Amino acid sequence: MVVSREETNKQFFLDRYRELGHRLTGDEKTPQAIRVNTIKTSDVELLETLTSLDIKLAKVPYLDHGYVVEESGFSLGASIEYLLGLYSLQESASQYAAQTLAPNSGDTVLDMCAAPGGKTTQIAAYMDNRGVLNAVEINRSRVYALMNNLERCGVMNSLVYHGDVTGMKLGTRFSKVLLDAPCSGNYVTDPGWFGKRSIEDVHRNAEIQRRLLSAAVRHLEPGGALLYATCSLEPEENELNMEWLLSNHEVFLEEIDGLGEKGLTEVFGQKLEIEISKCHRFWPDTAHTQGFFLAKVVKR
Amino acid sequence: MRLLKRFLEQVGSKMDPEVLSIDSKRFTLNQELERLQFSRRGLVYAGTYLGWNRRLFEPGSPLLQMLAAEEDTRKVHLGRDAAWLFVCGRDVFEENIRRVEGVLDLGRHYLVMFDGRCIGYGRYETSAGIRVIRNLFDLGDFLRREGSD
Repeated sequence: MVVSREETNKQFFLDRYRELGHRLTGDEKTPQAIRVNTIKTSDVELLETLTSLDIKLAKVPYLDHGYVVEESGFSLGASIEYLLGLYSLQESASQYAAQTLAPNSGDTVLDMCAAPGGKTTQIAAYMDNRGVLNAVEINRSRVYALMNNLERCGVMNSLVYHGDVTGMKLGTRFSKVLLDAPCSGNYVTDPGWFGKRSIEDVHRNAEIQRRLLSAAVRHLEPGGALLYATCSLEPEENELNMEWLLSNHEVFLEEIDGLGEKGLTEVFGQKLEIEISKCHRFWPDTAHTQGFFLAKVVKR
Repeated sequence: MRLLKRFLEQVGSKMDPEVLSIDSKRFTLNQELERLQFSRRGLVYAGTYLGWNRRLFEPGSPLLQMLAAEEDTRKVHLGRDAAWLFVCGRDVFEENIRRVEGVLDLGRHYLVMFDGRCIGYGRYETSAGIRVIRNLFDLGDFLRREGSD
């Protein structure tokens, strides 16, 4: 019997997750979710409108403005309210990143890998569309998606740069930085994931992420906070990168609470700093979201 | 700035924004960004997006919402069904206009409104003997751009 690359990979990664304490099937799903754009409307106003259109929503308890879509007779990515920027389609775990960074109107914020802009527009909403929000994206075609999102959501406090943020001089240091790092992704939001990914990809991404982490610390002012996020389940891109960061930069971690689990402090037999447990993981089987990792890092 | 100014006059606005140009795109900065000494290298978007120069000036959504808040601008208000057809690129039949702010004059431009917000603009004209607001720009453009980006 010939076993496909996809099947071999699937078994390989599921075995790894089991070793990390989770018996996943590889078929877990996450429900569609929306985030209310408080720059333009309120939860009450939008819910009233969407309910009148026979859309059933349920509040996500751990999110400020997030709702899962229980029933909808049409695509929520093509309604008049969507075009007006009253809400965005944004997966639940993904909404937790900007919420954890908790920027406000007094902050100067850098979003390092900003496209397509779901978290950028969320940050702008937390800032009440004031303060200064710098967004950088290296990929030209993705910059267009980012600009479209900023326009649609009515963001007015951003400066968007196209380029490599690791070599960029932005002329200031930031009180808050979001590094939603390019990563291997996960199978929950990408049905073909097991056929595309290998452990070599994971290691390659981890290298890129370390370069970005160093740049993030450089862009932060002392006492400033970095929120590191990936939608990868792989420890090499998450806890092992945090272990590396703690050893190589003058930083410490802050505890992240809420739905989900603590960061792993033992990975495939390797013991990590106990501080890594302050990080946060969303596992698809227990959180019913996509795989997601968050770490809040403070520069000394 | 000529095309932007002409567009603002067409819809009855007296707005006269300080404009920052990045290629063919036009922006205006709030006070916080205006005070800031920021790098221009690699800058592709800044502050409030007003629109961009094509053959005509194509307004951005933030500018349309600012114009919607101005009392003097000319507006036609639609119900949901006509609004949906409009964002799909269709013209608006006169009979589907629920309310007009200003006077309907042939050849004039109007902001097209739904539920208190602006979804585009058009010109009041006669097409094949039927009076319509001819669609010149609508927010369905966001979806059409996704296909072409």
